[in-house]
Amino acid sequence: MYNDVFGAWVAVFLTLAIFSYLYKDNPFYKLAEHVYVGVSAAHWATIAFWNQVRPNLFGRLWPHADPETLTGFNVFWYKLYKGLNLISDTVFPENGIPGNQEQSFMYLIALILGIFMLLRLFPSIGWISRWSLAYVVGMAAGLRLYGYLSSDVLSQIQGTILPLWTGNLGESINNIVLIVGVVSGLFYFFFSVEHKGVFGKISRVGIYFLMITFGASFGFAVMGRISLLIGRLKDLIEFSGKEYGYATFVLLIIMVVTILVTSRKDKEVAE
Amino acid sequence: MSGKFNAFLQNLDKLDRRIIFLIIGLAVLFPLLVPLNLPVEPTGLTRDAFETIHNLPDDATVLISFEYGPSTKPEIHPMAVSVLRHFFARGYKVVVMCLWPDGLFMAREALDEVLNDERFRDLEYGVDYVNLGYRPGNEAVIKGITKSFAANFTVDSKQTDISEIPLMRDIRTVADVDFIFSLSAGYPGAIEWVLYASDPLQIPISSGNASIQVNQLLPYVKSGQMKGVVAGMPGAAEYEALMVEYGLWNTRGEAAKSMDAQSIAHLVIVLFIILGNIAYYAKRKTQKKY
Repeated sequence: MYNDVFGAWVAVFLTLAIFSYLYKDNPFYKLAEHVYVGVSAAHWATIAFWNQVRPNLFGRLWPHADPETLTGFNVFWYKLYKGLNLISDTVFPENGIPGNQEQSFMYLIALILGIFMLLRLFPSIGWISRWSLAYVVGMAAGLRLYGYLSSDVLSQIQGTILPLWTGNLGESINNIVLIVGVVSGLFYFFFSVEHKGVFGKISRVGIYFLMITFGASFGFAVMGRISLLIGRLKDLIEFSGKEYGYATFVLLIIMVVTILVTSRKDKEVAE
Repeated sequence: MSGKFNAFLQNLDKLDRRIIFLIIGLAVLFPLLVPLNLPVEPTGLTRDAFETIHNLPDDATVLISFEYGPSTKPEIHPMAVSVLRHFFARGYKVVVMCLWPDGLFMAREALDEVLNDERFRDLEYGVDYVNLGYRPGNEAVIKGITKSFAANFTVDSKQTDISEIPLMRDIRTVADVDFIFSLSAGYPGAIEWVLYASDPLQIPISSGNASIQVNQLLPYVKSGQMKGVVAGMPGAAEYEALMVEYGLWNTRGEAAKSMDAQSIAHLVIVLFIILGNIAYYAKRKTQKKY
């Protein structure tokens, strides 16, 4: 119960502190901003280590194994692991990382590339990190190429080849609008010919379609932001009750009074 | 009177923006305190998604992926709850997974909320549903499960070996599920599911999205690559209305309750835009005169 109440007070404080920026920049906002940046970085680092680095990298290099079953190279390999175990028994528990991963020495490449990436911390040999980046860029480009080519290019072209008359007036109008939009939009992005005459007029139609698209995107963005505001206000309403010690009202009054007083003092100093 | 109104329009661009913030804030706050119960009419996009799910075979296995976090929870969480209720009410087997680390918390919260209802209390973990949890790797995870679930998810979110989960015995790859639903707020999300799983393996897919992502997904719906979209908070409210219409649920959900505030806020914003344009033209007319 006390945890819930404490959590509610923290949530209300941070929400109001962020909202206070709408009035003017102030220490509450600065505090909330810095807490957010710090907590986000720590959260992502922790999640990445415990969900990615430990099980997927160390877990595949040193999966949990009974020491008596180790043979050949693995005897030496798990002796190296004992060194890691001495550093931290929590991160590197005895006899390997728990889980059911299969051992794969391919992950040594990932370990080496990961270490290369960290070399950015040393300016004199930081250039080595480019090899890791090159791998990431190459892998991502290769992985995405097929997907985009198949789903975003071919399927989308296929989706644009539509009959202008389907027997249904509404559907036919939709198809015509879609085809005119795609063709005129493509004309607009063709820069090898000067946009004048018939070409210019078609590309202008393309601009109108683009403007409508941007308008729709903006509308959706506004809708999304209002939804987030609704979410925060719902929490503020919930936490304004007696069971939470009137957190919203108490913190709102404290923050409004503090901001107004500091604003007045700032004004007096400026004068 | 017209002179006063003209002066008001002339000075509108000097209006303190904080007054606009305050009006928007109040426009959102009041309907939350005093519900208006405005009607919600399902659109074609939401209906397509709902009916595709509703018409799956009775013994279907569905995969639902959580790709959102607390920042987009007000929009996507209500639809996560409704879609899960729909799956369980139809008797489908449900595989839950997450491509966002925060998605795991969202998935747990949504499952807890849904399974708390007495209608779903008999559902058995590992038999009727499973939560595989979060795996890092973005689209590489999707690509990975097209080859093998076990290679990417050695354990579920409760650290149970995947080979010991009855539901996962017949699901070797994502091709073994009948439907994918992505609860998506960005990257990785619904687009990656279309690109790396749905299109290559021809698995029907639909998505519940944050509003800001909807425009990017509409081309996939138009081309038939995606079966409808549940678009933002209005989409979630429409899905809740369809659940009531089909007799699968009996009350207005969280999204429908929030739509009053959403509608009033939109109305105020539209009024501001109209007023701003009138002021702009009035000022331009005055400047031309002198």
